Amino acid sequence: MIPLLAVEDLSYQQGRSRRWMRGRSQFHLGPINFELRAGETLAIVGENGSGKSLLAKLLVGVETPSSGDIYLNGQRLTMHNIKQRCLNIRMIFQQSNESLNPGITIGSILDEPLRLNTQMNAYERNEKIVETLKQVGLLPDHRYFYRHMLSDGQRQRVALARALILNPQVIVADEPFAALDPSVRSQIVNLLMKLQRELGLGFIFISHNLGIVRHISDKILIMQRGMAVEAGKTDTIFNWPKNEYTQKLVNSHQALVGR
Amino acid sequence: MSLLDIKNLTLEIDSASGWIKALDKASFTLADGEIRALVGESGSGKSLIVRAIVGALPDNWRITADRMTWKGQDLLSLDQQERREILRNDIAVIFQNPKQSLDPSCPLGEQLEEVIADNNVEGRFFWQKRQSRQRIAANLLHKVGIKDHRLCMQSYPHQLADDICQKFMIAMALASEPKLLIADDPTRGMEVTTKVQILKLLTRLNQIRQLSILFVSHDLLAISSMAHTMTVLYCGQTVETGPMEQLKRRPFHPYTKALMDSAPSFRKDLPPKSPLLAMDGTIPTLQHLPIGCRLGPRCPRAQRECVKMPEVRRVHSHYYSCHFPLHRSNKA
Ligand SMILES: Nc1ncnc2c1ncn2[C@@H]1O[C@H](COP(=O)(O)OP(=O)(O)O)[C@@H](O)[C@H]1O
Ligand code: SF4
Ligand SMILES: [Mg+2]
Repeated sequence: MIPLLAVEDLSYQQGRSRRWMRGRSQFHLGPINFELRAGETLAIVGENGSGKSLLAKLLVGVETPSSGDIYLNGQRLTMHNIKQRCLNIRMIFQQSNESLNPGITIGSILDEPLRLNTQMNAYERNEKIVETLKQVGLLPDHRYFYRHMLSDGQRQRVALARALILNPQVIVADEPFAALDPSVRSQIVNLLMKLQRELGLGFIFISHNLGIVRHISDKILIMQRGMAVEAGKTDTIFNWPKNEYTQKLVNSHQALVGR
Repeated sequence: MSLLDIKNLTLEIDSASGWIKALDKASFTLADGEIRALVGESGSGKSLIVRAIVGALPDNWRITADRMTWKGQDLLSLDQQERREILRNDIAVIFQNPKQSLDPSCPLGEQLEEVIADNNVEGRFFWQKRQSRQRIAANLLHKVGIKDHRLCMQSYPHQLADDICQKFMIAMALASEPKLLIADDPTRGMEVTTKVQILKLLTRLNQIRQLSILFVSHDLLAISSMAHTMTVLYCGQTVETGPMEQLKRRPFHPYTKALMDSAPSFRKDLPPKSPLLAMDGTIPTLQHLPIGCRLGPRCPRAQRECVKMPEVRRVHSHYYSCHFPLHRSNKA
């Protein structure tokens, strides 16, 4: 079976080495390899600055890799089918707070990707916005709200709605739960799992919260200093971590849970 | 005797729609050598309590309490000068995002030496004093587990990793040899191994130096790994307070239970990818506070009585405010 998303030897070299930048270490990411099937969740875990967010940006095409390939349903993504990527792999950024324009209504925020990427007319777009708002547990009336009128959880739902509105196959999220309070976080976790079941979404997320990683992910990719030091099934990683850093992560988490 | 004793602390903020109770009868105590967690969602008033303790509230806010004492001394009746004295000698505060609380343009060594009190410095001449300050600074860094003190003191904040930076903040806080350390979300956004380092350090300081800690956070895993007692805050009301283990195993208040349910790690029997127990809705804004029990509109156990504020009830050292508590068959 062809995986939904396959990443092969993806790497990224920051800039070119310049002599006058001596002493400043160059950041190198990769090579990264993984596969994701429809309905599966991959968690990316690792130190701050290990390249997790950069990897996410490479996947959605905000940054360009220096080598390696990404396949969506077996088809290689290139500069020529960039549109296809925009529609099918959508990103939720780290701070949904900052990524939502405060000056326009939620309706306009959701309208934008539709106007840019589809042929829908105003009526169809409005229908789609209402449908998507309901999908993420908001009300049609939230179209007329501005960012500041929403709670953290509602903002996260809007960010999710904006990612979902183009019917993507993969959603990539950078720390989607970090800014959320515990009781609201559970709601969003449940919502994501539900949408994934219903729509067969592939979900890739970055998180420090190993409790949630363990609960919702099928696979884990562990990153350290730009390298994927270990990857595997969630269960295997938590029970039989091989890499030294992975062992440290898992032990630290167990130490917190243990008592 | 408790170090810190707060009973029915109420804080009213003047707004367009009249006076609003941002804190409504918040109560807890902190004993010598205790680690108490203060838990609640953002906007629940955790930081307001911290600010009330350190006296950093605007003059036009109404603050009342039946009791608010530090070592038996009434904090509310002290003037600014006396308050500052207590803060300088006894209470230190550290925040999340250590990098933002440090001066980015000044080497860390200078920032640390600056907070060392003059009366701890030995020597008569300035060069002796300088040496003494440097010795004290190096010692403080060793205490928090920073081995290469020279490198750390020469560095600027942006050059250090998160955990080293937070350890440095703790070293700064320890310079005044405080009795109480207030840590406001000190491990937010940290990777697990880093977080565990900081938690271990705090635990060690508590055990070795009898340092009392008020640990403000909503990271339940972190809290349950180190705190002795826990106070749960919802919308400015203390809903439950008591020994950590009891609140974790048998919470009486529906909100405490919701918090515990939000950490999948606490539930060993939870099948992977199964829905988490979640409470509907979100925390209301200060402008739209429900009357009576503020959890009312979200609470699965709410009944008509809940529009009346529940009394504080007590079972040994475990306090809760709820008309229909969990795990208690004969309710009111
Ligand atoms: N300067 C202020 N003016 C008006 N309301 C404030 C002010 N500072 C905080 N608040 C309100 O007080 C409540 C509690 O805030 P805070 O203590 O910061 O919560 P937490 O620390 O639990 O996140 C919030 O609803 C917040 O909006
Ligand atoms: S008092 Fe009523 S509304 Fe409040 S927590 Fe108890 S049952 Fe729920
Ligand atoms: Mg706060």
